[in-house]
Amino acid sequence: MPASLSGQSFEALALPLLPALYRHALWLCRDPFEAEDLIQETIFKSLRAFGSFQQGTNFKAWVFRILRNTFLTSRTAIAAGRTVSLEEHVEESEIPAISLTPEEHLLRLGDQASIQEALDRLSPPLREVLLLCDVEEMKYKDIAEVLNVPLGTVMSRISRARRALFELLHTEFEGKL
Amino acid sequence: MTELTAHAKHLESEEISAFVDGELAAAAADRLGAHLEVCHNCALRVVAVVQLKKATARAGDRYVASPDVLARLSANLGGEGAESPGARRNDRPLRQFSFRPVFRWTALAAAVLLAVVLVGLWGRRQPNALTAELLDQHLAALSSGATPQVLSSDRHTVKPWFQGRLPYSFNLPEPNALPADTVLRGADLAYIEGKPSALLLFSIHKHEVSVFLTKRTDGFNLPEKSVRNGFAMRSVTTAELRLTAISDVNPAELEALVNCLAKVQ
Repeated sequence: MPASLSGQSFEALALPLLPALYRHALWLCRDPFEAEDLIQETIFKSLRAFGSFQQGTNFKAWVFRILRNTFLTSRTAIAAGRTVSLEEHVEESEIPAISLTPEEHLLRLGDQASIQEALDRLSPPLREVLLLCDVEEMKYKDIAEVLNVPLGTVMSRISRARRALFELLHTEFEGKL
Repeated sequence: MTELTAHAKHLESEEISAFVDGELAAAAADRLGAHLEVCHNCALRVVAVVQLKKATARAGDRYVASPDVLARLSANLGGEGAESPGARRNDRPLRQFSFRPVFRWTALAAAVLLAVVLVGLWGRRQPNALTAELLDQHLAALSSGATPQVLSSDRHTVKPWFQGRLPYSFNLPEPNALPADTVLRGADLAYIEGKPSALLLFSIHKHEVSVFLTKRTDGFNLPEKSVRNGFAMRSVTTAELRLTAISDVNPAELEALVNCLAKVQ
């Protein structure tokens, strides 16, 4: 593929994704300068590897995977220990069974500030899968490709992430009473 | 509604999440749907997860790239001459990329200017077609033969009618929170550029008002204020919705109504 044609195709695919890439990078890095650097590096690597991208498959999942892998191997992320936390396994036992009624769940969802705080406090692996599902609106199979995990793992993580969020909201709600 | 039989169990949380995310196969989704018809507890759990999903999407969407950041990022998408990682910017000593040569900034500035002009030309055409469509729907609602699907001033009747008809929800203010002499008359389901929209019908004094509620992410390009064929139009956005009101009433009163509706979303 001629260099100029491949460049145009990559740009047409990547340009609409820049806001989403930046949003997700900022969630990973928690620093705007680092996030911008992360995306610059991701763009560079994606462009270099574009020849291996299979046209017709999900470009968003492909480039998000590169973004994530780039983050995991970045010097700052390793130094901060964030890669370990992102790759940690979330044990089922870490999420206590809560006995809220559905009505009580609904009561806690009206407080946007509490939702944001709970999302911040969620463990990184659970937050990451929830962001890819609910914010980036990816299908489970695409999330599995980004995270390089089986589809079943994605399903169980999303379910556990939501249960964990309900538990965090319950804790915050009780604390405010 | 039949009682949940002894051998039927409640849904697993994974099933509920997959159902809400649209990831269940059709047959499994049908079975789950049948269970929800008879199980109040699971139905509420589904509602809770739907609301949590929406709340998470709102909370997770808080980081927005500035135009400067987007301009810098998109400058590298062309590929040719892209700087390799490893060089450092003088003003950010820990960063990995060098800044572009000066001549590339000039080329970038020219490209951005051209893009702005083209987008401006394209943008001027699109809102005209969209405002025309909305005005047509408003006029159709005014016609003597039109009967909306919901004829009610009760928000507890109007709002639930839209459940299952729209991929989003909205709130309605209490009657005493509406501007003076403003009454909810009814509602209908409209389609704008093929996408479902809530159409709320109000009256302000003796003037009829149509308010279209669409998803903000539908990308409708509408000016905040405009006038077309003697009808005023006001459009505002909230976190998730765009509200567009049309009427021949005083524009200030129209704006007061649409702001009142936006406030409760």
